[in-house]
Amino acid sequence: MSNVQQYLLTVDGDKEKAQSLAQDTARGLESKKLTLIEAVQSLGEYINDDDATIRARVIDYLSQVIGQLSPTFLSRQQIQVLCQFLCDRIEDGGAVGGLRKLQALGRFNKDMAAMTFRAMLEHFQDLQIRPQAQRLQILELLNDLMSKHRSALKELGNESIVGITDLVSGEKDPRDLMVIFSILRVVMVEWDISGHAETLFDAVFCYFPITFRPPPDDPYGITAQDLKSRLRDCIAASGYFAPYAFPQLIDKLDSTSPNVKKDVLQTITACASSYGITTVSNYSVTLWESLKFEVLNVQEEELAQEALVSLQAIAIRLGRGLDSTDPKTPLARYLRPITKECNEQLQLPQHKQAKPAGQILSALGQASSVTFFLVVKAVVPGLMTLFQDADDTAKRRALLEVLVQILDSAIAVYGTSSVPAPTTEVENPLNPFKDRLFELSSQALMSSAADEVSFRVVALGALLRLCLLRRYLQDNEIGMAVQYFNETVLAEDPSGNDDLKREAIQALIELSRIKPNLIMEITFPAFMAKLPDASPSDDRDYLTTLEGLAQLSVERHVADTLIRRLLNRLDVVLKTQGPSAYPRAILSTLQHVLGQRDLHLDPNLSSYHERIVVGLTSRVALASAGQAPVTVLNEEPTLEILGRLATMIVRALDEHKQRSVALQVYSLFVDEANFVPVLFRDNAPKLQMSTLILSTSLMAGVRQSVSVQFTDSGTGSIEKTLAELVRLASQEDVPPVRQAILRQIGLFTNKFLSAQETDAVVGMLDDLVLGLSEAAGAPENAARVVFWVAKGLILRLARTDEILERLLNLLAVRECGIASARGFGLLVAPDEVLSRENGAKIRLLVKQKVFNICVPKIALEFRTADSATKSNYLTALSGILKHMPAEVVMPEIDRILPLLLQSLDLEDSDVKAATIQTLTVVSQENPKTVEGHVGSLVNRLLKCVRYPEVNSANVRHNALRCLRIFPGRVKDSTLLPYKNTVTRGLLNVLDDPKRNVRKEAVECRAAWFNMDEPQSD
Amino acid sequence: MAEILNANPTIRNASDLPSRRRQGHTQPSSKTPKGLFSGTVPPSAYLSDPFSPSSLSDSELSDDDNAEIEPIDEQEIYDLISPISDPEHPLTLGSLSVVNLPDIFLTPTFPERGSSSPLTTLTVLITPTITHCSLATVIGLGVRVRLEQALPPRFRVDVRIKEGTHSTADQVNRQLGDKERVAAALENGTLMGVLRKMLEGCESRAV
Repeated sequence: MSNVQQYLLTVDGDKEKAQSLAQDTARGLESKKLTLIEAVQSLGEYINDDDATIRARVIDYLSQVIGQLSPTFLSRQQIQVLCQFLCDRIEDGGAVGGLRKLQALGRFNKDMAAMTFRAMLEHFQDLQIRPQAQRLQILELLNDLMSKHRSALKELGNESIVGITDLVSGEKDPRDLMVIFSILRVVMVEWDISGHAETLFDAVFCYFPITFRPPPDDPYGITAQDLKSRLRDCIAASGYFAPYAFPQLIDKLDSTSPNVKKDVLQTITACASSYGITTVSNYSVTLWESLKFEVLNVQEEELAQEALVSLQAIAIRLGRGLDSTDPKTPLARYLRPITKECNEQLQLPQHKQAKPAGQILSALGQASSVTFFLVVKAVVPGLMTLFQDADDTAKRRALLEVLVQILDSAIAVYGTSSVPAPTTEVENPLNPFKDRLFELSSQALMSSAADEVSFRVVALGALLRLCLLRRYLQDNEIGMAVQYFNETVLAEDPSGNDDLKREAIQALIELSRIKPNLIMEITFPAFMAKLPDASPSDDRDYLTTLEGLAQLSVERHVADTLIRRLLNRLDVVLKTQGPSAYPRAILSTLQHVLGQRDLHLDPNLSSYHERIVVGLTSRVALASAGQAPVTVLNEEPTLEILGRLATMIVRALDEHKQRSVALQVYSLFVDEANFVPVLFRDNAPKLQMSTLILSTSLMAGVRQSVSVQFTDSGTGSIEKTLAELVRLASQEDVPPVRQAILRQIGLFTNKFLSAQETDAVVGMLDDLVLGLSEAAGAPENAARVVFWVAKGLILRLARTDEILERLLNLLAVRECGIASARGFGLLVAPDEVLSRENGAKIRLLVKQKVFNICVPKIALEFRTADSATKSNYLTALSGILKHMPAEVVMPEIDRILPLLLQSLDLEDSDVKAATIQTLTVVSQENPKTVEGHVGSLVNRLLKCVRYPEVNSANVRHNALRCLRIFPGRVKDSTLLPYKNTVTRGLLNVLDDPKRNVRKEAVECRAAWFNMDEPQSD
Repeated sequence: MAEILNANPTIRNASDLPSRRRQGHTQPSSKTPKGLFSGTVPPSAYLSDPFSPSSLSDSELSDDDNAEIEPIDEQEIYDLISPISDPEHPLTLGSLSVVNLPDIFLTPTFPERGSSSPLTTLTVLITPTITHCSLATVIGLGVRVRLEQALPPRFRVDVRIKEGTHSTADQVNRQLGDKERVAAALENGTLMGVLRKMLEGCESRAV
């Protein structure tokens, strides 16, 4: 049996086998066991079979054989023969595939390409009645010919243009259209189409606008955007299309669909950018007449923006290569009606269309230096006069806004002093207006009434742009502007609107990048002079000044100077009496400025260490021991800020220096004669106890490897120190001091404890837990200690299971259950001292682990717990969930949701707030999970929303927000039964005593009102 | 929409519209240092101690303010209606000066009963952008619907055209004042569609 026969028998059942048969024949040919003639002859009896499928299969077989041959095997004559053969039978399935393989061969020549092309035209007039798969194959053959044998088709000239447009007409399938568009684009760009422009244009424009929507599962992987882009490339392909394209596009601009309009505008932009200058020039004014409506009568911001881009594209096209400002160029002719119209609009500057007119001018001005020149010449003189004559501020502001837009395009064209734009021959047309512009914006900023804030903000923007514009203002003029900005920041402002001040600071920051010396010479002294030497009693202006200084210190040497001066100022202030807010603000500023820099690389690090860490710390210690005057520094809130500063600096020190800090953690750089460390002493005075805040900060900054020296140095073993800290924490009742001690405990058990010592500490924890569970009276401090010891250990995942087990057992104890339950909120809460930055060991999976151990147990024990302790479990749960990432919580949500619902019934505000927070996240991330509980959720949330006596404003507000999430996320059919309950239930909340609760209630109610209404598009 | 009646109305800059921030700031500034440092310098750290039950850690809107009552005032009414968008322009009624703070009046419905009666009459006067604006009724209706949805039942809402600003003000006022005609208008699907579109701007983005 011949290979052909076998192929015919197997091709249905076993494609691979059939393929191997074709391969077999190919090998036979290559090894000369078989000649091509024989191979073709073997098809003989089937090739004329009446059954089309058999014919198709035979041709298919031949195609397969051709495909398996090595690319150079066939001679030119053989290809010629095969090509002829396949062309004759091109209608039989498979022939197209064979031809695709043939044309890929190197010896396939022009004549063959033309022959194939003609055969296609002749036989495929009925293309559209064929199935899509076949059409696609045929089109791909055409595409192949187009890419490999383009010149052959091109030589056919008109024949190919007409042939191709006929062949592809009437196509509707997106996959085919993608191929057709790219074939046609080649013809449009490369062929001489002067006689066929309309035919070709119609062949593609009939698809405009594309309304295709991919089917739901997107089987083709083709988006509407793909089709739109290819079609747009076709329409923009040749300037010959302009007479058809522009009128029709303008027509379609009347469409009511924003999508269509957007497509039209983008197509206009594409055409304007690619057609020739003369062509575009012929239509430029007509286009303007239509496009202007989109901008001036803006309905949708996005469309107005697209129209601006189109207008700009025309200007760019007309101005390409142009450096003459002659009024007769196409560009000038295009701009004339535009500037005229805009000038007219600017006559009524506070009306709606003035702003878009400014946008048009700005968009055009950015197109090139020549357009900018022409726009300025046509508009700015009139604008100045209008401004001069304007009688009210609203008008002046609107005009100034237009000016700002023009200055923006100036910056786009000429660049700033730091970012120059490409050089241009055209002189900046704003040069003649320099003095007037400077004067006008300075005056508007400085001489307007203080409450004309929005006007002054615009003026400030104008002045800043003048300063930024490249090669425009002189340094002394910029210096004056800097002074104005200074005054604006520092001026007393009764209106309390800080928009202007904020803008002024921003302006100074921008100028500090290009003219740091001006900021150093002018702004700095002015600001420093505003800082008082002593704490002012009620006036808080120094805050603005300090903020300004801090924000301006971006440049390194500016920051260096600032730090030095602030430290000096602090010394002066500390000598005086007065409220503590001012020195605290200075310290905070220092913290902010130092925090902005990379201290590790800072050459001044050791001086910061000397002055701030050693200097101020020892000063605090001495004062606490009565060896120096007590100052604001000794107050706890100040100590905390100082502590943060110290931590930051110590962290950056090298190991050697850190070691010396470690030795001084408790002695605070003071010798024993003057200050005795408070550890292992009884009844140290309060002032001295508070120095522990600094000890904690120093300890926090020291890295773990340094710890050995530090624990060995006279303070005894780590356990002994820890026991002492536990003792101190248990009896301390000043919150910040107690917190500092607790954090030290955490630092010890987390950062400094070696693995060998863990057992001993766990043993200690056991005793503490035991003590806590047996304690009578107020157990809070004992609980604090227990949970801080545990926190340190858990974060490094040391014996986590057993520790958590013990902590969970506490929940069932009546006396200490509540305190312990609250403790769970501490375990994985972020902490500023026990943080990764400070070298704390925080394992990645801590949160998951805590969640996975605690939550199932809580859920289980809650069921059997007695009524007095049930709430403890809910409190503990809310504490744990508070800091849990959603992805950890979600998988277990079904299990905890019933518990969360019950927590909403508790009276504890903290628990309620935390629970609502969790519920909000859950409903947002995974609305499906709450679907089954909507009823009880709605009722409980409504309860949290009412009763201001019980529920804090915070709870009420957040409950409303949670309730607002449901519509749109949860299925309408689930919510509908509760719609009335909610809208009616919220009626009273509209009268809530708190404004922001009412606001939330209004929005929540609106969301529920509108939920089942049909969405208008 | 067939044809735009007033294509080029006067508009006010958003930052010039009356807002609570500007008004409220005349009181001495808040007790916490504002702005820059609140980010880098968290408030005293011991607030985060979960063991003290009353410490409301995120205390932005709670604590001592809890007791203070903030009554519904004209500014609040203004904030409710000024973001409604005009049916003709993508602009708000506030920026078109269709609603204005001085044209909002809150008066006790029964002044003779003093504070014992919480009933309050709210009058809002709207100023159409042009005197023959045929959309004045729709705008008035939008304002009315918004207020009725957003205010507690003790408010009596009265929306009227400001005197001398509209050629058929009386007729419009009669329509807006007539409960039954308002109710009938709200049954009209097309009209409701327009109203809904106008009110869309009032909702801040969902959280």
